[in-house]
Amino acid sequence: MRRANLPGWLFVVLVTAVAEAGVRLFELQDSVAAPSAALRALGDGLWSGTLTGEIATTLESYLEGLAVATVVGVALGLAIGSWRMLLDALSVVIEFLRPIPAVALIPVAILFFGLGMPMRRFVVAYAAVWPILIGTLYGALGTDRVLHDVARTSGATRLGTVVRVTLPASLPSIATGIRVSAAVALQVAITAEFFIGTDGIGAYMKHERLSFHLPQLYAAILLTGALGYAINRALRTTERRVVFWVGEAPTEAP
Amino acid sequence: MTTTAPARVARRLLGPAVFVAALALWQAWAAHKDSFLVPTVTAVAERAWDVWPTSGFIDQVTATLGRFAAGYVLGAAIGVAAGLVLGSSRAARRAFEPLQEFLGSTPAIAIVPAAIVIFGLGDATRVAVIAFAVCFPVLVSTIEGVRAVSPETRDTARMLHVGPAELILRIYAPAALPSIVAGLRVALAIGLIVTVISEFVVGSGDGVGRYILVQRTLYDAPGVYGGILFLGLLGYVLNRLFVVVERRVLSWHYGAAGESAR
Amino acid sequence: MPAAGIHLHARPVLRADEVTKRYSEDGPAALIDVSFEVAEGELLAVVGPSGCGKTTLLRILSGLARPSEGAVLLGGRPVVRPPREVALVFQDYSRSLFPWLTVVRNVMFPLRAADGARADRVVRAEAALAELGLEGVGRKYPWQLSGGMQQRVAIARALVSRPEILLLDEPFASVDALTRVELQDVLLRVHTELEHRLMTIVHVTHDIDEAVYLADRVLVLSPAPGRVVTTVDVKLPRPRAQTATRSSPDFLAVRNEIHDVIAKQQARRSGGE
Repeated sequence: MRRANLPGWLFVVLVTAVAEAGVRLFELQDSVAAPSAALRALGDGLWSGTLTGEIATTLESYLEGLAVATVVGVALGLAIGSWRMLLDALSVVIEFLRPIPAVALIPVAILFFGLGMPMRRFVVAYAAVWPILIGTLYGALGTDRVLHDVARTSGATRLGTVVRVTLPASLPSIATGIRVSAAVALQVAITAEFFIGTDGIGAYMKHERLSFHLPQLYAAILLTGALGYAINRALRTTERRVVFWVGEAPTEAP
Repeated sequence: MTTTAPARVARRLLGPAVFVAALALWQAWAAHKDSFLVPTVTAVAERAWDVWPTSGFIDQVTATLGRFAAGYVLGAAIGVAAGLVLGSSRAARRAFEPLQEFLGSTPAIAIVPAAIVIFGLGDATRVAVIAFAVCFPVLVSTIEGVRAVSPETRDTARMLHVGPAELILRIYAPAALPSIVAGLRVALAIGLIVTVISEFVVGSGDGVGRYILVQRTLYDAPGVYGGILFLGLLGYVLNRLFVVVERRVLSWHYGAAGESAR
Repeated sequence: MPAAGIHLHARPVLRADEVTKRYSEDGPAALIDVSFEVAEGELLAVVGPSGCGKTTLLRILSGLARPSEGAVLLGGRPVVRPPREVALVFQDYSRSLFPWLTVVRNVMFPLRAADGARADRVVRAEAALAELGLEGVGRKYPWQLSGGMQQRVAIARALVSRPEILLLDEPFASVDALTRVELQDVLLRVHTELEHRLMTIVHVTHDIDEAVYLADRVLVLSPAPGRVVTTVDVKLPRPRAQTATRSSPDFLAVRNEIHDVIAKQQARRSGGE
């Protein structure tokens, strides 16, 4: 357990105090919410369930999309990484689709799926699948051939080798991919909500801005930041355990 | 593993062949379905051929690239500068750590409404948001690069009487450059994504993102798909350009790393 | 050509006064009560078993580290930070030379604050490289050179600012045996042929033969915590030669003496446990 970073948190308090003083002294309430107002709004929003409700909506499409992306990404990545022919066959398609930003698909996805959950799950999953796929692929390709051969010669089937050898060996790379995907997916989920404007924390922020409720807006921003922070922290801890167990991961993404 | 010449040629052709086959499949399915939602490959290609070379579209591309470049350079500059300073001082790092981790995990989209209130509905907001998204990966990789500078290098700098400012600019900056460049590469993709987001959700304005939205309201599916593909192409080209520049800027690093790998 | 050996009345330029180094309050000491002098123009070798603190001692001499007790005096003044008159050559040349600079830029680096045109600094750097037997490599990057050449570049860089004292921390430990022999003779030339004076050198090494071959005196440290066990005079004539000197009976006598001293120290250490 790392020692709590006292200087760090003191600095946060200092910055908050300075911001509070600044907003009041220079009467910036029209542009920025004072920290005290934002924190109060955060408390109110959580207590009344408004903010928790919106975040829950966001989390629904986010987690579902991320789950689908993980399953598909890992499965495809392992398959492509284990069969040379599949890699050769799909490499051009992957290189073609990969640079397309998932957010750009939102307008098209709306046409296909409408404005509800299915559309959001789709864009989140599409956005999240790439880092996971590439990470898994990279891990699978980097798996020591010796491990492979040992497994094969001791009678394991092709599929068994993939599951018992390639998958564990690729876990560090997969973990990194999932961490990147988690960040991308959150961004896409909230962007979609912002764009559509019906529900979710993204829509909430849009409305609070339009209604000029700055404290509520900043409360939502703080909550989103905290969510991103918590997700990142949780994944990093898991990643460290995985790396510790399996060994060093390749440090550079392809 | 077959390595005869014909086999190698076949392997090289497999990827493009599958790609073309996928396009053909799409073409057939789209033609069969005949829905305005699913344009044929030929329809998309035709529209692209007609629209992309026009000055109107090129203006959109320039607008997008312009704000991307502005946000990227601004974000990178802040990230590198702050990273060099934070990398050199353990106390500063500790002080900034919670704030940095919190802000760094905040998705740029969450900043957008706050930025709109402060900067309005124009490019200032877009560039600010792009810079926000770009600066954190660059900051992190710069700090890592400075921290990784070896004790021998630091001792050598002390023996050569390098002052604090000189240390950061003439020793840490070049020594950390490989790590900085890695962060800049990650930030390139992030910057482009946030550029698109900024065009989607911040006001009206122009740009390729705007073009996609406008064409959607006009039910121009080939135009919409074409716009999306263009963004993909843009990302691909920017990435390749980056690699070319990277190779030149870091030529000394590749050589040195190659030697020490022996 | 200066006479072989040290003038008995050459003034001491560097002095260690009961230098003690401890890394924590009640932890083990790295060095205890180390005292010695280095005379002007002398080549002093420091030997001792691994962990005896020779590198720590050199860091304290160079000003990179401060002693917990005692002091290092340079020309009578205490050393608290790396002095301008001292240059240090590290064992790991690949981490000490800057990989993003060409060889000549690396060697020019100590001159960056000097007055005068850049062209002059280039000339001085090239001259320093030439003195080390390196010509025409200025525009290459350090990693393009062999280990031995890189270490020569490091020595050239150390010499370009005309230091009074040259410190070397196991400088030949990272090169192969043949290169090591070459570099030993390079160092001897640096000692005697620079600017018609003798360069004051402190050379830390684990190689006793190397120490005796190079030095005027050899300082022997005990196993950790490092204390001065003895100082052995090396009265071998200069110029030294790899085959002639190393096969001379005097050489063998001195190196055997040092070997015995160290062996006795080791025995005492393990016997006492």
